[in-house]
Amino acid sequence: MKPEPAPAASLERLLRGRDALREPFHAARQHVFELAGAAGVADWSCALLDLLAANAGSGCILAFLRLSARVSAEHAAALPTLAAAAIAVCRHAGGRAAQACIELMLRTDDRSEIWPGGAGGWPGFIRLAEQAPDCVVLLAERAETVLRVTGPAGFMAFVIAGLKFGSRDKARRQAFFRLEDAAAQRELQRQSGAITFATQERRLKLLARGVWDRGLLLRPMPAVQGHPPPRRSSVSNGVILLPELFNGVAPSQAQALFRASALHAGAHVAFTNGRFSVGTLKPLQLALIGLIEDARVEALAIQRYPGLRRLWRPFHVAVPTGNTAPALMARLARALFDPDYDDPHGFVAKGRALFAASASDLTDAAFSRRIGGMLGNDLGQMRAQFDPRNYVVEPAYRDDGLGLWDFGDTPEPPDAVVELQIQAARLRQGETDRQAAGGANDSPVGSQRVRPVASDGGIALARYPEWDQQAGIERPEWTCVREVPAALGDVASLEAELARLPDLRRRIDRLVRAARPGRPVRLRRQPEGPDLDLDAVIEAATARAMGREPDESVYRTSALRRRDVATAVLLDVSESMRSRLGAATLMDLERIAVALLAETLTGLGDPFALLAFASDGREAVRLTRVKDFGESYGPAAQARLAGLRAGLSTRLGAAIRHAGAEMGRISSFRRLVLVLSDAEPSDIDVTDPLDLVEDARRATLALRSRGIDTFGVILAEDARAASVSARIFGPGGFAPMRRLEELAARLSDLYFRLSRR
Amino acid sequence: MNIDDYRLPGELFYKPVANEMAIFEAAWQQRLPVMLKGPTGCGKTRFIEHMAWRLGRPLITVAAHEDMTAADLAGRYLLTEGRTEWHDGPLTRAVRGGAICYLDEIVEARQDTTVLIHPLTDARRMLPLERRNELVAAHPDFLLVISYNPGYQSAVKDLKESTKQRFVAIDFTYPEPSLEAEIVANEAGVPDELASVLVRIGRASRNLRGQGVEEGASTRMLIHAARLAASGVSVAEAARAAIVLPMTDDADLREALTEIVAACIA
Repeated sequence: MKPEPAPAASLERLLRGRDALREPFHAARQHVFELAGAAGVADWSCALLDLLAANAGSGCILAFLRLSARVSAEHAAALPTLAAAAIAVCRHAGGRAAQACIELMLRTDDRSEIWPGGAGGWPGFIRLAEQAPDCVVLLAERAETVLRVTGPAGFMAFVIAGLKFGSRDKARRQAFFRLEDAAAQRELQRQSGAITFATQERRLKLLARGVWDRGLLLRPMPAVQGHPPPRRSSVSNGVILLPELFNGVAPSQAQALFRASALHAGAHVAFTNGRFSVGTLKPLQLALIGLIEDARVEALAIQRYPGLRRLWRPFHVAVPTGNTAPALMARLARALFDPDYDDPHGFVAKGRALFAASASDLTDAAFSRRIGGMLGNDLGQMRAQFDPRNYVVEPAYRDDGLGLWDFGDTPEPPDAVVELQIQAARLRQGETDRQAAGGANDSPVGSQRVRPVASDGGIALARYPEWDQQAGIERPEWTCVREVPAALGDVASLEAELARLPDLRRRIDRLVRAARPGRPVRLRRQPEGPDLDLDAVIEAATARAMGREPDESVYRTSALRRRDVATAVLLDVSESMRSRLGAATLMDLERIAVALLAETLTGLGDPFALLAFASDGREAVRLTRVKDFGESYGPAAQARLAGLRAGLSTRLGAAIRHAGAEMGRISSFRRLVLVLSDAEPSDIDVTDPLDLVEDARRATLALRSRGIDTFGVILAEDARAASVSARIFGPGGFAPMRRLEELAARLSDLYFRLSRR
Repeated sequence: MNIDDYRLPGELFYKPVANEMAIFEAAWQQRLPVMLKGPTGCGKTRFIEHMAWRLGRPLITVAAHEDMTAADLAGRYLLTEGRTEWHDGPLTRAVRGGAICYLDEIVEARQDTTVLIHPLTDARRMLPLERRNELVAAHPDFLLVISYNPGYQSAVKDLKESTKQRFVAIDFTYPEPSLEAEIVANEAGVPDELASVLVRIGRASRNLRGQGVEEGASTRMLIHAARLAASGVSVAEAARAAIVLPMTDDADLREALTEIVAACIA
């Protein structure tokens, strides 16, 4: 009996004109019938009808039919759901995209996790189709690679990461989903839990610094487009470049490999003095001189740190077989390193003997050149195969050796050099703190300035991570804070505005005088102290005479009032500050309040900085320095304050992080970051403002955990602002300014309260 | 308490690093106040104990703390049985009895204490006890010594210029590796090789100064580690217990230090 349920008739009718589909259709229907019976076929047929109605195109239908014809019993029932998902993709991104997704399933041979019933890849494709339809095909064609790492559960996270990464830049987005962009690779590495440079960076830096007694510059090695990813570390002008990931190394070994590489490269920085000139040396000789030099610096390193032998030893895996040049070199490398290694080969034995003969004076780098040159010559005469282009230094922890050589006038590949310099100059927050502390105390951030590669928006100061709440991770170096020069405004009009508030100024002046440091305060009736409090003594004597228990607090002491508070005031100058409140804009109110606060702080002698921020995407969080900690609040700072104009968006978290970084260099007992904002984080490249709220919350928590009090002064009156502020700053961590006209008065009051706590 | 109770019972081991003994003895001859500068655990206290023994003087040591006032040093009236009674503070006791008074980490104390020592540190050599209306002339053998660690003082907690300039300063640093190893070996009674390994660890850890640790491992820490090792703990474990763990709670730093320890041990 043939299955002929109701939808079948219309299907037959629809397929009448499409001969190419007829045969696959029958095969698929028969297969589904065998697995799921007549009822299954009915559902399946309805799904197919929907797919046809969605105008998915014959390619997509064909793919669906082919999948149906070989579906396993387990998944037969899920075919209608799959069709629905394909329709969803098709609706936003077209039939070609839906087809690519179904073809992925054909390729992955029915792996159950991709089926839409499970956590599946499909929700990811649908999301991608909705937000970046141009990328669905790109990703579907490569999704096996992604799924292999992420599994179905991480697939959506990968999609979201890509959408965020290239939210405004189509080319970048496509490169991401083509898996060509380094960011895509990083995301995959992150999801695979791989040990990468980024995860090891701080430890490696600390370790290298401790062992080699210098602030070694460790950097991830830039992958050059069109070249395979770097496999070995490299030393260049004292900068140590490490691969972002050692491919094919088990996680259990990767950590040790990173350490071994960093310390080996550090040994070069410590012991290799000067470069060798290339001259007429042949590639084989260059390689051998590098090998001997490696052995030399390691021998020196081990003299000082014998435990390094244990670190490096496991990577020497050469065995006494193989006569190609690379094999012999690996054998020699091991022989020079490992005294217990036995290798009968004449070349290895000769190398060992030459090295041992010169080992009395390891400090002389010239011997590497001499022995290496000799051995290179020998190896050349042995006609051992050597292909310099594909030669990779062994063992894996050793550097590529290029840093040893002075190539004279021969230009190195210019792109790579430029890229290196950018890498070396790239600013890593925190790293230069101490190194720069020497002569740059007056301008703590100035020393970190680097000229950005291509900037149209100020000088890049630092990069900061950003919290991605959906993925639940911090995306490293996601935002870039750039300093833009301040426009100068009219000081006279600012003064005039202030002059209109004489009462307020007088009151603040009184508060300032009362709080001024250095005034001793007398404390009476203390349980201990340097002096007797005579009144209390008499009372105590009276009490005793009357047979009562005397109060023993009969001492007097004095305490000095000491202020040690430093404050960074972060001013939100985003577009929303343009909103009007009567005749004045929010910006005007903010300006007056801050001017008054600045007077207060100057009166108190408390160090402070005024920083204004607004953002234009994650690459341009613009920071205007109105007043720095080091400078005094004078006409110049006033002019900059007067010159502030509202515009652009609010990337609050990055601004808070930067304020924290600047505060990190201040050694006051109490450090306070005061954020003046309307608590509406947003930015042009962020679809969900809640992301930025959560990020600002993380930034605030991070500052607080470092002992920097972070307090929000919220220039908004509505309940929404209150709830957002509570989220960012915590319930007691902000003050809503309900009546903005009073901002000027309240702000200084608030400061007194906060700085007393 | 009798001033002789402050005499040291016997010689304490001290290994000179440079000319500090000669300078101190010369300062003592001239009764010039001395300031010992240097990081924690580098031997300042040991040095002054050794010198007090050497010169045969009693030594009164006061560890300054944030709450220490001038009265804690000079003395105060106390109530006993309905009457007030004056009690000399440690500084006054030293001034009257001709002891060496060692004020450890003087900057930690409140500002008024530093003013108190000014008249003692110039030609006047006297201690005014304002509350008692008394001017105590210093015993001919009295000597004031303070210690001062410039490393971890914030700008607000620095000695006043007028205070600093009254002292002869002796700078203490961690000794040279071989010397430090000798000290560690001697203090803990361990073989020289073990002491050298610990000194290597100590020196590497000092390279991390400013990277999350205020100061590296002090000689004192190394001696503690050596003592642990002397009682049978393995060197790695001793270094971990006496150096790595006390020094930092930062996971990355701990790991780096642990690796440093491993690199130093053969």
